[in-house]
Amino acid sequence: MKRWMAAGLLLAMTPMMAASPRPQAQKEEAAKIALKVGDTAPDFTLLSDSWKTVKLSDFRGKKNVFLAVYVLAFTGG
Amino acid sequence: MDSPAANAAFAKQIGVTFPLLSDMNKKMLTAYGILKGYDVQSENYQWALRANIVIDKNGVIQHIEEGDSAVDPNTAVSVCTKLHGKEESK
Repeated sequence: MKRWMAAGLLLAMTPMMAASPRPQAQKEEAAKIALKVGDTAPDFTLLSDSWKTVKLSDFRGKKNVFLAVYVLAFTGG
Repeated sequence: MDSPAANAAFAKQIGVTFPLLSDMNKKMLTAYGILKGYDVQSENYQWALRANIVIDKNGVIQHIEEGDSAVDPNTAVSVCTKLHGKEESK
């Protein structure tokens, strides 16, 4: 078993306009991840699928963390 | 954003071995700058970007991928493997 920790952050959103595809002409705010390699990752505490809190800093000194933000994964939620 | 209950159902369906986290109030997404706003019918909706981020044991970000390139986890996995290798050789 690899010692690095894989933490998946799954964020699938219910399409709010399921019946109509998103028009291409809307204004999109430019988004770019504000962080860069070498930065300290902001700490967070989130609820897992087993309703337990998972805190990033709990892995400090113990495990590497792979954080995957996964949108539109069709979880239905 | 999905609730823990929706994630639990999905976790069971696909048999994951790692925690699926919920950011219902968008705290983490906001802190990491991953939210993207879309104006639709005079309302603003926020979706998250797809992203892979590798954070080492010291809490330092070692790898960031966003958008389409983040669909493939292989690069991030290789970063994890390299990190693990460095620790082993110490």
